[in-house]
Amino acid sequence: MTMTSQPTWSPVALSNVIDPSTSTGALVDGAELVVWRDSSGKAHVWEDRCPHRGMRMSFGFVRGDHLACLYHGWQYDTAGQCRHIPAHPQLEVPQTIRMQTFAAAERNGIIWAGATADADPTLLPAEIAGLVPVRSLYADCTAAKALKGLAATPLPISADAPTVEAITENYISLTAGPIRLLVAIQALGKEKIALHLMANEGAPVAALARYAQALRLTLETAPAEAA
Amino acid sequence: MSALTLYNYELDENSYRVRLLLSMLGIEHEIYSVNMLPGREEKSPALLALNPCGTLPFIKQDDAVIFGAEAILAHLARNHDAAGKWLPIDGPDFSATMMWLGFCAGPLQAAIKAREVAVFAVGGHLERLKADARAAFRIMDDHMTLRQIEGHEWFAADYPTIADLALIPSFALSRDFNIDHEEFPALRLWLRRFRRLPGFITMPGIPDYH
Repeated sequence: MTMTSQPTWSPVALSNVIDPSTSTGALVDGAELVVWRDSSGKAHVWEDRCPHRGMRMSFGFVRGDHLACLYHGWQYDTAGQCRHIPAHPQLEVPQTIRMQTFAAAERNGIIWAGATADADPTLLPAEIAGLVPVRSLYADCTAAKALKGLAATPLPISADAPTVEAITENYISLTAGPIRLLVAIQALGKEKIALHLMANEGAPVAALARYAQALRLTLETAPAEAA
Repeated sequence: MSALTLYNYELDENSYRVRLLLSMLGIEHEIYSVNMLPGREEKSPALLALNPCGTLPFIKQDDAVIFGAEAILAHLARNHDAAGKWLPIDGPDFSATMMWLGFCAGPLQAAIKAREVAVFAVGGHLERLKADARAAFRIMDDHMTLRQIEGHEWFAADYPTIADLALIPSFALSRDFNIDHEEFPALRLWLRRFRRLPGFITMPGIPDYH
């Protein structure tokens, strides 16, 4: 693996914050993606750019099982194929007008984007039952600094640093007493990350959300200690 | 009693705050269109005689003028909402509503100013304003994240108040000054919820999903 390789699967959002028939933007290593759910609730991840004029599709809206561009209303089906051009309603849209799509999966309460359209689903983290959402935390720091901060910061109702277990390269588990916190790390760009947090059922979710809020302050203010 | 007149500029965010509540409460009114750009009519002697601050929006009914978006929202809610929900006047809901209304007049001003600099090309330090606006949105997102965990859908009460209404426009218009919504998942859900309320209207910069 080279230094620049990105993980096969990157977390892009908590599953519970994207309702059916809605879309949002997401960055993965500087690449702009649109994450959207069709009316049946199935998640899709595409390049965030309309082939027509380059408008961001995440500004658009979902119509049935089509994602429509806000600019001129071009509509794309769930396979990314353009199906409707309002200015030319009679036109049989050429097969060449299509989105760049990526694989999308939901696992452990998180929407994951594949690095390619055929990303291997067996490389997703193993299923963990009984998790509840805490929050996503966006912070201006590197993933390395976030990992250091997570490992050093006690979880709520515990005085000691948590036990850290790496599940995949961008997914870790923190355990302290009765609390287990699963952290999926999304690298947005240079010194920009998101931590998508899920916890075991029964964990104090509000306290964990406050813990995350305080952690952001640490990650963004304290410079890394020189060794 | 003469009709209520709103002194309004279509692209002005604070004028939109008042238009929004007028629409949601279904209040009959007249509009006086102020030539804010490029005319700066709000600073003309005739309008300064009505509102000495030289700001928009303000409302006039008979001889009474009320300026300041937050005060106008409170005034309209107090006098035109029979259910007394948009401005709850008792208990903790009142306090929370006033606190977030104050937040709109305080930290959130950075977002309003950032948009003015970006859209109207008036003077100002855009990058500093954007950083302050992002900080304000984070405070709002953190608050709504906890509200959601505690089972609440709105900023100050179990129903929408003028606090929600006052805060919504800056977030809805943030793309005007290049702050995207992806970092604020709880605010995205809240905005979608608010858009579905009866009487919601948009303004230029807030997409109307045709």
